[in-house]
Amino acid sequence: MSILYILIPLAVVLLAIGVWALLWAIKNGQFDDLETHGWSVVLDDDQKPPPQVDDVNSEFEEEEK
Amino acid sequence: MDMNENTRFCFHCGEPVPHNCDLKVEAQGQLQPVCCRGCEAVANLICQSGQSRYYQFRTENAIKPVDEDTVIEDAWKRYDERDSLWGSALKNGRYALLLQVEGIRCAACAWLIRSQLEARDGIDQVQVDVATGFVRINWQPVKLRLSQIAAILASIGYRPHLPLAGAESMGRQHERRDALKRLGVAGLGMMQVMMYAVALYAGDAFGISEGSERFLQWISLIVTTPVLLYSGRIFYSSAWRSISHRRIGMDVPVALAISIAFIMSCINFLTGNGHVYFDSVVMFIFFLSLGRYAELVVRHRNLQTGLALARLLPEWAELIRDGQTEKIPATDLRIADQVRVRAGQTFPADGHVISGSTKVDEALLTGESRPVEKHTGDVVIAGSINRTQTVEVEVGKDPDDSTVSVMGRMLLKSQTHRSHYTRLSERYAGWFVGIVLVVACLTALWWLYYDLTMLFPATLAVLVISCPCALSLATPAAIASSSRALLEQGVLLTRGEALEHLGSVDTVVFDKTGTLTSGSPSIVETVINPSRKAYNEEAVLRIAALLEIDSSHPVSKAFAKVRVSRDSVSNIINHDNGVEGRVGDKHYRLGNAAFTQVNVIDVTGGYGRLWLVDETGWIARFDLDDGLRDSAAETIADLRARGLDLIILSGDQPQAVFSVARRTGIETWRAEQTPGMKMDFLKSLQKQGKTVLMVGDGINDAPVLSVANISMTVSGASELANSTADFILTGKSLKYIDYIFKLAHKTHAIIRQNLVWALAYNLLAIPFAAAGLIVPWMAALGMSFSSLLVVLNSGRLAKRKFETQASVPNRLVTQ
Repeated sequence: MSILYILIPLAVVLLAIGVWALLWAIKNGQFDDLETHGWSVVLDDDQKPPPQVDDVNSEFEEEEK
Repeated sequence: MDMNENTRFCFHCGEPVPHNCDLKVEAQGQLQPVCCRGCEAVANLICQSGQSRYYQFRTENAIKPVDEDTVIEDAWKRYDERDSLWGSALKNGRYALLLQVEGIRCAACAWLIRSQLEARDGIDQVQVDVATGFVRINWQPVKLRLSQIAAILASIGYRPHLPLAGAESMGRQHERRDALKRLGVAGLGMMQVMMYAVALYAGDAFGISEGSERFLQWISLIVTTPVLLYSGRIFYSSAWRSISHRRIGMDVPVALAISIAFIMSCINFLTGNGHVYFDSVVMFIFFLSLGRYAELVVRHRNLQTGLALARLLPEWAELIRDGQTEKIPATDLRIADQVRVRAGQTFPADGHVISGSTKVDEALLTGESRPVEKHTGDVVIAGSINRTQTVEVEVGKDPDDSTVSVMGRMLLKSQTHRSHYTRLSERYAGWFVGIVLVVACLTALWWLYYDLTMLFPATLAVLVISCPCALSLATPAAIASSSRALLEQGVLLTRGEALEHLGSVDTVVFDKTGTLTSGSPSIVETVINPSRKAYNEEAVLRIAALLEIDSSHPVSKAFAKVRVSRDSVSNIINHDNGVEGRVGDKHYRLGNAAFTQVNVIDVTGGYGRLWLVDETGWIARFDLDDGLRDSAAETIADLRARGLDLIILSGDQPQAVFSVARRTGIETWRAEQTPGMKMDFLKSLQKQGKTVLMVGDGINDAPVLSVANISMTVSGASELANSTADFILTGKSLKYIDYIFKLAHKTHAIIRQNLVWALAYNLLAIPFAAAGLIVPWMAALGMSFSSLLVVLNSGRLAKRKFETQASVPNRLVTQ
């Protein structure tokens, strides 16, 4: 069982890395919004918004004026 | 408008489409109806940029775009050069901008906003918080202007606002992140220590080499210490705070238990005999942190309501300087500045009129739906809307001191106040904690005398097992679940105890205007002069709508649903009591009996009657009244079925109140009531031993709402009045009132179950613990189990779904 003397401290080191990663993630706002990103799987399309979205936009604004 | 099966609902905003509106958009290969040009433009943009899936996945309808949205880019241009408004500076010329965005209602909105904004060059990252409506944008002002960001948001149907309370909301984000960090550290630590604890307990049972045991204890100590210092710190600071105020708070036994357990474990470990309890320490800290975190999330959500106030004020003002006007952010206005406020705009600050006269809609502040005349020298209040003429106003108060801002601060303050219930439960918890401490001391004394080896485990078990968690969670957990269930139906609960007290309500008092009625006039009946056969109903409505096309009088709203083209009308003259103009080749007048010189005795009250006349005589009569709010009559019937007394109190004329009373079936009503009289009436009801629920809106109702035992406001009600009420109905219909009653009864039952369980558990467990029959780890488990049961039991409330008819049209068009 002497392998435990290596494995358990190793686990503690991994734990420390895990804690550091968690704190980093929280600090960077990874947990601020848990709802919307789940939707991105079903919502995000391969089809990106067309590049001329600017034109569509300005056309729309002109029309309104 | 009648809701029959032929009514179509707008694809974008979900509102009924006017019968004569034929606007359509193409979405996913199908033509869908929309209700107005604004919705059409927004829906087209969304579909053309390949994001029509938004409509498939959203769970709430969008807000209806208003005309103001189309000019938002011009308005925001004033901000472009002001780097103080760009947000907080990051590295490489980037800024983190925080906007409060109106109209974010579900996850699909967040997706839509993110994909539209992130596609732009100059925007690195966008975060959308659906619960609070805040959008964080990391952007580069070199590549993009602030006004462009605003224009993008407006073009997809969302209204951006600069958050007035930005710093405060950042503070709350900080608080939430800190709590999450503590919870995470405690959770990870607990998992590890529990693992070693299992090995140690197995070792107790089946034998373990002394070296391995010492080693596992070492590791447990190494992992427990940082958890105690990092996550456990708040229990010490909170216990210390309560002791320094000479009270025994709930955290006192917590701090005591974790200290004793930790110190004794260390001593046992160093001396090499006796048990260690590191597992109990971390487990205890983790479960307590979990409870605190849940509490924090609920508290923050409730605070959000007060922030809605910021939206009342306009973002910019037209400052007059040396005869020239200049647009500046409204927050920059100072006393004695002169501003021009055009028709249709909102007053940016409190002040008085220095030139011109106009009619002002103070509905947001007073609840009075009819505009008030303002002449030179009259006081105007920030947040009210200028209806008819451009006026110049001298600012009398700094924006921070305006009536609206002061009220907002008061509301925020009152919301952070501890409620009566919390104080009460704290007092009981204090007693409970005191008793527990006494029991723990007695236990310690007893074992000191009889068996020293049992002294420490038994005392610790008493301290841990009797944790008042379950007791103190019993009510808040149930209320938090109900509050979430309500939120899903568009009902905000701002004062948790209101839900508890709702069960004892026996009288419901309604305000009329804006509560039972929608607050804007609608045509109840159209009567054609029998001798004028040439005209039918459609024709007279068209003529009336044409005459009213430019009118800003509130009555014109009744005709706004009729779509007409401006070309077919000419020579319109607006008078005080009516309008005249030329339609086709004929001259018509539309107005009250005096204006149109119709020889009848006219009715008063409500919005009265309008007569359409030409040179030869009267053609048609329109009877106007305040339209009933959606499902008002059904709700009243449901409430009566519950055996509640229903009363209408209104400041309006008797005829108008009677008309509404008749249509809703409420028998008791009082008209011409001032707010003072309303308050006295409520007080007299309460003196008779009645518990009163008041449903109202507007600031003039605010004092009345505060007298009532429980208060509720409905949509269309001002945000300000909303915030003082216990319940806020954000939907367009009253039908949720009955649902709230149902939920209140359910909540009451759940709270009782929780309390009975928590008390029974404590009464049973403490004697066992004191007798030394329970070891500390079992105690920690038992404590957690009892809290968990309370939380799970309360969670049943949130699961109850309420079938809404409102969501049906949405599904129909999207599937």
